[in-house]
Amino acid sequence: MQRYILRRLAQLVPTLLLITMMVFALMHAIPGDPARMMVGAGDSLDEAQLAVVRREYNLDRPVPVQYAIWLGRALTGDLGRSSANQRRVGEELLLRASVTFELGLFAWLIAAAIAIPAGVIAAVHRGRMPDLVATLVAVGAVAMPGFWVGIMLILLFGVRLGWLPTQGYVPLGSNFGEGLRHMVLPAVALGITSAALMMRQMRSALLEVLSLDYIRTARAKGLAKWSVVIGHALRNAMLPVVTVMGLEVGRIFAGAVVIETLFGVPGMGRLMVQAVFQHDFTVVQGCVLVMASAVLAANFVTDIMYTVLDPRIRYGG
Amino acid sequence: MQTTPPPHANTPAVDGQVRRRALLRGAAIGAGSVVLLARHGRAAADKPEYGGKLRVAYNLAPGSLDPTLAVSGGDTFYWKQAYDVLIDNDQRLTPRPDRSLAESWDLSDSRAVTLKLRKGVTFHDGTAFNAGAVKATIDRILDPATRSAARAEISPVERVEAVEEHLVRLHLSRPWGPATTMLGGRAGAINSPSAVKALGVDYRFRPSGTGPFKVAEFVSGSMVRLVRNEHYWGRDEAGNPLPYLDEIVLNIVPDQTVQTNALKAGEMDLVFLPYRDAPQFQDKPGYNVNVFENAGTVYVLLYNRSKPPLDNINLRLAIAHAVNPAAINKAAYFGRASVATGGMWPPSTWAYDGTVPRPSYNPAKAREYLALGGRPNGFEVDAVSYPSEANTPSAEIVRAQLAAVGIKMNLRMYDVTTASEKFYYGGEAPLYLSGWGHVPEPSSSNMLYRSNGYYNASKLPDARLDALLDAGESTVDIAQRKAIYRKVDEIVLGEAMATPLIYGTAYAAAPKRVRGLESVFTYDIRMYLHRLWLEKT
Repeated sequence: MQRYILRRLAQLVPTLLLITMMVFALMHAIPGDPARMMVGAGDSLDEAQLAVVRREYNLDRPVPVQYAIWLGRALTGDLGRSSANQRRVGEELLLRASVTFELGLFAWLIAAAIAIPAGVIAAVHRGRMPDLVATLVAVGAVAMPGFWVGIMLILLFGVRLGWLPTQGYVPLGSNFGEGLRHMVLPAVALGITSAALMMRQMRSALLEVLSLDYIRTARAKGLAKWSVVIGHALRNAMLPVVTVMGLEVGRIFAGAVVIETLFGVPGMGRLMVQAVFQHDFTVVQGCVLVMASAVLAANFVTDIMYTVLDPRIRYGG
Repeated sequence: MQTTPPPHANTPAVDGQVRRRALLRGAAIGAGSVVLLARHGRAAADKPEYGGKLRVAYNLAPGSLDPTLAVSGGDTFYWKQAYDVLIDNDQRLTPRPDRSLAESWDLSDSRAVTLKLRKGVTFHDGTAFNAGAVKATIDRILDPATRSAARAEISPVERVEAVEEHLVRLHLSRPWGPATTMLGGRAGAINSPSAVKALGVDYRFRPSGTGPFKVAEFVSGSMVRLVRNEHYWGRDEAGNPLPYLDEIVLNIVPDQTVQTNALKAGEMDLVFLPYRDAPQFQDKPGYNVNVFENAGTVYVLLYNRSKPPLDNINLRLAIAHAVNPAAINKAAYFGRASVATGGMWPPSTWAYDGTVPRPSYNPAKAREYLALGGRPNGFEVDAVSYPSEANTPSAEIVRAQLAAVGIKMNLRMYDVTTASEKFYYGGEAPLYLSGWGHVPEPSSSNMLYRSNGYYNASKLPDARLDALLDAGESTVDIAQRKAIYRKVDEIVLGEAMATPLIYGTAYAAAPKRVRGLESVFTYDIRMYLHRLWLEKT
């Protein structure tokens, strides 16, 4: 088991390297003079000033050398400074990532809290009203883009009913109640697609398990219906659900890019969108590094979870 | 002012002057004057109340709160609240010594500008404002290593001399016509030298100016919070100390629909409205809307004259005559902008001249020019643009209108930075469908038309324009300057170097309890929050 974990961890390193290398290459593949692009469309700097920019950001050197310089510094923990506002990328990411993690965790918890009970109920009542309703809602939720759901939530709960704030972010540490209120709408908008997918997975996995022999045996022993479902079937049915829940971490990060912009949440998704438009290479690179690490970590944890849920799984090596 | 307006269509391009119509409900407002509103039948003579917090939404995040390092037009929105400038200008671009850091100035020497500075002014860090601070600020701008975009705006300044504690002289390499405008922009916003020195790179977001509000908090990507400067020197007309508000929070809200919704939900007290949403609030009893017409050239055709086929003047004129701006205004701006009737300076600026002959919509004439240009059956042309709520439909309309006379436009859309890069330096296409912010000072057109201009995509030397633009920049008298820039427009419009299509309109909306909204717009379409106050309910 330990060796398995170590090996999986070692595999993360080349994956991360490859991702950062690709992003670096992509950012530099944008045609045009990067120094002028960095300075932005609205500026007039003369050649003397542009030369300062090129030297400062090593833009006068070949791209692989630039990458090597970035990597060398990143390994020592220095992610550089933003070309748009000169702030330290590391500090900025720490600030922004904590917001996105908070939002993502909320979205993910909301998704799981909706999906698992709904999936169980749908499976138990297969083909009857609760199943039909749950399926219809789930199909609808998958089909609706997150930003549209977000706008509808803003219109309903913010503008029409005035129950919840639609803008901004309050750190949970500074004011827990307000922080929670600000988090509800973006977290629901972000989590709703994931909830639908998890629910579908839960339903089909549970149905499969419920048709197995050992469930029939349990029922034949005269156990109560819900005791069979919860006590015997659910744990085995969770395996594919956990996989999906792990994969959903990636989707939630991707969704945060849009949802954070919509709800004015100062997280990493919004930072990255802004940085891409400003051609702020160092910031984009830093964001990608953090997001990729988080997704890889989620996949890693998912793998480990298998052994906990299903002791039959053995890890060779 | 921004002499280098970014072609951001999402920054409302506004100015209110000559034809400005302030549609504050039930009150006609004269440009630049402070008129108190009659409201709910109450008498107009309301006394401003002190205190309260104002929440404002703005779509662009600041790249710098230090004006010396400010890059985009969006940055102005932030630093304007925390700084005074050497020579402040009102909405008509008339210098206002009573609102400026310089009490008086002398422009009579063509080789120097001498400024007598206001006494008793302190920076937010407590240090005194004086000639040394002015010298330190301008020296910092002039140093290429600072990378200040303001450097280009004060290029005639050779050296700064602190003559006395409150007397400063800018020595010039050549006469400087737009001096008063340029010293009213970011180049004239004075920093505390000791704070700059002490904070280094961190000064960018912890600035120390002399303005009515002090930066108290900056949360990256989220907001800038400013609090009242208790020691501010400014007074209103009745002699009351400015500003009235205790606190202002400038929230970064990138999406305009979200801004509008936040205003409706009562989460914001002041926002710029998109064209689409303006009538909703103008017709709503609970809100005031301040409207600025002829606010910058928001849609313009720019040509690269060294790239075929638009190196042919007749083919450029064919395009200029084939496009119908009235249709664009109707479809993309809901009929709420204006069809351009002059050059790049709309009727709200002194340089505007509506009598300059210029191409206007005339398909028959477009066909004539096609024939003259040797392409009677039309031609194909590449174009670039960038998407925005108005640009995207506008580009489709232009494409259809050109097709009607046989011109096939191959359009590529990029984000605004990339599109600009590709047109101005990349030579990717001979035609750019763009916006051009608000430029109240015509010398900024140097960048577009001078042989070595930063935005001169053609890079073609033109001795006529160079001579005119040099004369325009070194002349101080406004009437003479106007005559010079009229000649510039004759060449630029007549030979289709640029064809302005639409002048914009901007809207600032606030709930009725926000008072003083008529004072909110600056000449460069940003907001002054100095004179706003909140009615206690």
